[in-house]
This record gives sequence, C-alpha cells and structure tokens, in this order.
Amino acid sequence: MSQVTVGTTASSRPAADEPPSVGNPFRLALGVMAENRVALAGVIVILLMAGFSFIGPLVYHTNQISTNLSGSLRPPSSAHPLGTDNEGYDELGRLMLGGQTSLEVGLAAAIVATVIGMLWGSVSGYTGGVVDGVMMRIVDGLLAIPSLFLLVYLFTVFQASVLLMVLVIGLVAWLVPARLVRAETLRLRTLHYVEAVWMMGGSRRRMITRHIIPNAIGTIMVNATFQVADAILALASLSFLGLGIPPPAANWGGMLSTGVNYVYAGYWWLIYPPGIAIVLTVMAFNAVGDGLRDAFETRLRQR
Amino acid sequence: MITYTLRRLAQGLAVVVVATFVTFLEAHLLPGNPARAILGVHASNAQITAFDQANGYDLPLPVQYVDYIGRLLRGNLGFSYQLNQSVAALLSERLPATVILVGLSVVVALICAVPIAMLQAVRRNKPVDYTLTSASFAFYSTPTFWLGLMLIMLFAVKVHVFPPVAPQGTAIQVLAHPLGLVLPVATLAFTSIAAFSRYLRSSLLDNLAEEYVRTARAKGAPRRVVLYRHVLRNALAPLITLIGLSLPGILSGALITETVFNYPGMGLLFWNSAQSQDYPVLLGVTIVIALGTVIGSLLADLLYAVVDPRVRYQRQAR
Repeated sequence: MSQVTVGTTASSRPAADEPPSVGNPFRLALGVMAENRVALAGVIVILLMAGFSFIGPLVYHTNQISTNLSGSLRPPSSAHPLGTDNEGYDELGRLMLGGQTSLEVGLAAAIVATVIGMLWGSVSGYTGGVVDGVMMRIVDGLLAIPSLFLLVYLFTVFQASVLLMVLVIGLVAWLVPARLVRAETLRLRTLHYVEAVWMMGGSRRRMITRHIIPNAIGTIMVNATFQVADAILALASLSFLGLGIPPPAANWGGMLSTGVNYVYAGYWWLIYPPGIAIVLTVMAFNAVGDGLRDAFETRLRQR
Repeated sequence: MITYTLRRLAQGLAVVVVATFVTFLEAHLLPGNPARAILGVHASNAQITAFDQANGYDLPLPVQYVDYIGRLLRGNLGFSYQLNQSVAALLSERLPATVILVGLSVVVALICAVPIAMLQAVRRNKPVDYTLTSASFAFYSTPTFWLGLMLIMLFAVKVHVFPPVAPQGTAIQVLAHPLGLVLPVATLAFTSIAAFSRYLRSSLLDNLAEEYVRTARAKGAPRRVVLYRHVLRNALAPLITLIGLSLPGILSGALITETVFNYPGMGLLFWNSAQSQDYPVLLGVTIVIALGTVIGSLLADLLYAVVDPRVRYQRQAR
C-alpha cells in the first residue's frame, strides 16, 4: 500500500527556492485512486453507498413515515428482503434512509471541522508568539475533554436535528486539523517564497489565504477524509446512546440502538445490516484517506 | 529534566484552566438558568432564589468562575439533587471501576499489538502483513458498540462462555468476577490494538531503515538481537506518547463499552445522568475525565523523556 508513485510530481521536482508546487491536488488524488487498489476500492464502496442511499429509494419504494405495528419484527421475506423493525418499517428501505443521514452529516460535519481547523491552525502558526501559545493551549484544553462526553452533554441540553448535529460534531472535531495545519504552517513559514511575498508587502491575510493554505491542502485533504469517517462514527455512537436525530428520521446508529433490544431474540436482520453498513462506509473513507496520505507523503519525500 | 518537567507542568496547568473554563461555559449553556434546569420546572421562585444564593449564581460571571475553581480545588464537584449525593461521593464509587477497565484494556492492547507489529515489520509486504493490516483496518473502523454487540452475540448468546453483562458493585466486587470482565475489556482493547499495531509497524519499519541497524549488523550482531535490543526498544518509546494521546479516545470508548455491558463505571454514570438530565453529575464527570486525560498525557510525556533523553534536550533547545 505504501508503494504509490505519483507520476505528476516525480518528473517536475521543484528547485529549493521555488514555491513547493502542489500540482493540482485533485489531479494528484485521481492519480492515487488509479494506482492504489485499496483506495480505489474505498472510492467504489463510497459511490455504491451513496447510490444505495440516494438513488435506492427512487427504485425501491417503502413507507418510512407511518408505522405498521401489525407487521412489525417480521423476518426477511420476498415482500421485505431484510424484514421489518419493531415499528413495522421495512428494514432495507430504512437502511437507505439512514445512509442518507449518515453520509450527509458525515460530509457536512467534516467540512465544518476542516474549515474551522484550517483557519485556526494557519492563523495560529503564522502569527506565532503569545497568540500562537494561547490559541494552541485552547486546542489542548478542548482536546483534554473526550469528544463523546462533550457531545453527549450538548445533546442532553439541546434537542438534536440534522443541522445541529452537523454544527456540533464539526465544532467538536476541528481540533486535530487545527494542530496539523499549524504544524504545516510553521514549516511553510520558513520557506523562501513566503519571505519573498512578505518582502513584496503581502498582507497577512493574503499570505494565509493565498500562500499558506493552498500549500497545506494535501495535509488538509487527507485529514478531511478521516474526519468524514470520524463524524459518521460519532453520529452512529450518539444515536446508539439514544441522543441522535429523533424519528421518523433514520440513521444507522439509531437502527442498531433499536436492534440491541432484540439481540437475545435472535433478530439478526435488525443488527447485521446497519452495523455492516457503518463499518463498510467508515472503512472506505479511512482507506481513501490512507491512500491520499501515502501519496502526499511520497510527494514530500521526493522533494 | 527538571526544566522540562516544570515546562510540561505549566502547560498542563494551562490546559486544565481551559478545560475548567469549558465546563463552566457548559453549565451556563443550560436552557433558562442552571437553577431551573437542575431543580426542575416545578421548583418555586423562592427555591430558585435560594439555590442561586447557595451556589453563587446571583454573582457576576467572572466571580462565579473564580468561585467554581475554588470549589474544585477543595474537591467539591457539585451536588446531585436527583440522587441526593455529592458528585464526589458518586465518583469515588465509580472511578476505580473505570480505571480498571481502561488500564486492563491498554495492557491487553499492548500485549497484543507488540507481537502483531513485530510480525508485520519482519514479514513486510508478505501475505501475513497484508492480512493483519486489513484486519487492523477493519477493527479501527468498527464502532465500539457494534464490536461489543458482536462479542455478546458470539460469546454470550451463541456459545455461553462469558456473561453478557459486566459484574456489578464496587471495583473490588468487579475484580472478583474476572469472567465478566473479559468481554468489556476485549471490546475496548480491539480499537487500541488496531491503532497501536498500525503505529508500531510503521515505527519499526522506520527504525529498520536507520543506519544504526546496518552498523549493528556489520559489527556481527545477529538479526534477532538487533531486532529486539535496538529496533524494538527505539520503536516502543514513541508508543508511550501515543498511549497518552489516545487517552481521550479510549475514554470515549469506555463510555460506550460501559453502556453496552452495563459496567458500573464513570461512563455508565455519565450516560445514566444524561438520560435523567442530572447536570451536576455530567459536569462533575466531565471535569474529572478532563483532569485524568491531562495527568495521563503529562505522565506519558515525562515517562517518554525518561526513557528517551533525546526528547528533553530537543525540546529545550527550541
């Protein structure tokens, strides 16, 4: 997995004084996917999951709004390929609906976390001195509180909704990207091209938005991918603890939380499908992130 | 070493101040005011006023914060009106059980991760390596509660080997039933095994590529000796920091594990309090967990500096 060679950078190695050319990060990412089979598999699984969740309901119509208690807890049959749950919802259709929520919240929360972390980290690293010290101690202090404890508290106080879920998970998860981007900023700050921009009178804002962040985009993209995986896990864990988005909205963690009550009854169709869906999706995002990291690190080593 | 320790202590203190500030803010996030949230909707205005005066909620916010720190320093973590017990008393009952769970799982994770990573590093890019890499990948991506459920289904429902519910009672009573500890500890350990072994594998590979390995081999030291004496020792040191850094994640995992197995620790207390909206307990547990994390990572850093003297000189030079 670690033997990824990236064609775009090997040929055009930049000289020491030039800005470290990133190439087009998206083209680089595409190159990775073509060559790294594990990462490619990850992309395929993500696309399949998205298709299943968003296109599936258009083909496979189920009633996911009104309950049907007389038809609840049925084992898989031709009418319900994955059976029905305790409220009579079709499990397969519910899986699709749950996938929508999980993917939407995962992606959106990752974007929130990444944007906040990126800005915080680059400002902190670029400014340096006391400001940097204070900003980083704030990050450390927040990191000291395990995220799940913070999330459980916040959703005990506030009633969860999709939007709030995205904001809160994102607001709790920005710490790691902030640290990574700061470290990257400290490295970039010492490069000659940054000094050159400064000499020419480039403002701090210009420096950060035009020069630091674009060059840290590799680190940021890799972490953003992992953030999606983490956010999906966080949503699932919260829903499992009974603090997720209230019904009739569905998500995989919440479905599992219902299934738990029937572990001893042997109703496997309430437990395996949502669990496998979570594990597959999270694994896929982690695989893509891993592939991207290998690619970017290879690029750094070649430099 | 003394300068390094002092610097790390000062940083730790700053982190604790920020963490207490967060819990202080959390308390003031409560809908309406804390008194209403804690005493409930049926409390009379006189009760609210009395509560505000008793807890200093009628004072300006900065004064309240200083008061809050003062109370924490005296070990006063608040009072649960629902359980009619001080939070400190509740925690002293539950904290040891969580320490046992987390401690055992970290030990188990280390015992499993070291040989796995060694095998992978020695057989790099061979089928064994790929299999173990995929397995650790899968475990790393598996939510803790799902893993716990699978273990219950396998070892408690299908085959009756271990009980599906953790032993109840105090920490000593928990320890008296080691069979009941197996599934919770395993559940919590799996994610750490995956994380530790992945990290250690790459750390071992980095070290194997170092010049000192070639020197030792050239000097005539057998492969095995080089691997165990030099490479493993060098690769293990950074793992201490990783354990410190993983503590918040492991504690989040403990919250889930304790809920799944009804394990009588702090995580279960936290979850039960969340369900009954017992805010003083939630805030008390949060601050204790944060303190535990800070102390844990502080100890890890200091231990690392003892094991590897290069660390403290490097940091001082900066």
